[in-house]
Amino acid sequence: MFSLPLLIGDDIDVIDAAMGDFLRDSGARLALLIDTGGFIITSRGDVGAIDMSTLGALAANSFAATQAIAKIIEDQSVTSLYQQGNENSLLIVAVDDFGFLALVFPAVIGVGSVKYFAEDMIIRVARQLHTARSRAPGQGIDLSALNLADPAPLFRRRAAP
Amino acid sequence: MALINQATKEIQLKIVYYGPPQGGKTSNLEKVHAEVEAAPETKGKLTSLATNSDRTLFFDFLPLETAVIRGFKTKFQLFTVPGQVIYNTTRQLVLRGVDGLVFVADSQYEKMEENVQTFANMIQNLETLNQNIANIPYVLQYNKRDLPNAAPVDYLEYLLNNRDIQVPSFVSSAVKGEGIFETLNMITRMLLHKLLTENGRKAA
Repeated sequence: MFSLPLLIGDDIDVIDAAMGDFLRDSGARLALLIDTGGFIITSRGDVGAIDMSTLGALAANSFAATQAIAKIIEDQSVTSLYQQGNENSLLIVAVDDFGFLALVFPAVIGVGSVKYFAEDMIIRVARQLHTARSRAPGQGIDLSALNLADPAPLFRRRAAP
Repeated sequence: MALINQATKEIQLKIVYYGPPQGGKTSNLEKVHAEVEAAPETKGKLTSLATNSDRTLFFDFLPLETAVIRGFKTKFQLFTVPGQVIYNTTRQLVLRGVDGLVFVADSQYEKMEENVQTFANMIQNLETLNQNIANIPYVLQYNKRDLPNAAPVDYLEYLLNNRDIQVPSFVSSAVKGEGIFETLNMITRMLLHKLLTENGRKAA
């Protein structure tokens, strides 16, 4: 059922460290690791007023659409997508088949510089995801707190005023 | 696919509302967004990528979080797909990583053929993603029950719920908000049950 590995604290620490180094070296504002379904796995940097959930969903579908367009024009290997802005720009780079990095950076910084500094981060993140995936699935997780016998609905209609 | 982040104690699940054009998928999300009892920080914005005529172009998106499940913060992402046939490629894209499905059927007699075709299209699109409908929790919602030309529920069941294993089905009027929470609560419960049993087997 799971496309991504079960991530533990050590994984997130390594990924966050790689992202932190990238932000320091590149001058980028924000780095997010997102799965292909649009979920934010972890993020580092200046979130500000950015709606992260929506950014993740839109970025995932935008990147997927770009890859689909690439196939139509007979290009099989799109690994990055660059959106040039006036204030902030966005670079999306694939990590592996299951996730990608979304990098938000001031428009005055060249995308070439961001790509250069992102290379090391991509390698480190991909390596850690591989390590996590190599572990036994389900190891270390305890879902015993889930009470599925509880008949109470998860979502309720708000009471009328 | 479901994402379990042990580091942050989060479970993330993606639910896609699928169905024929103008069947009420977007209305479902609009009503959930407007009427769900939730703290502001647990309910995200409803994002709609629509055409000028308010037809869904790419998808609608609503993030929701429930605090009911102890131990893990459980986040749900609700998506709709565009119903129009010309947007089939985008429907495939939105289905990527889906954990559970709500098929919103239009109860009107004249929409039966579209319901059946769209259900078959959903199965085909899942197959392009190497997914089998038999392995994905889904529920049926028979919408627009408030209209005078609504077909009997038994007829809809015969057309759409005639597989080896029948799935839960609900009647609704999405524009009135009737039946939408029952549908959402059932699919979330089915998803969590699958999550728990699969992890139980793996951990055993």
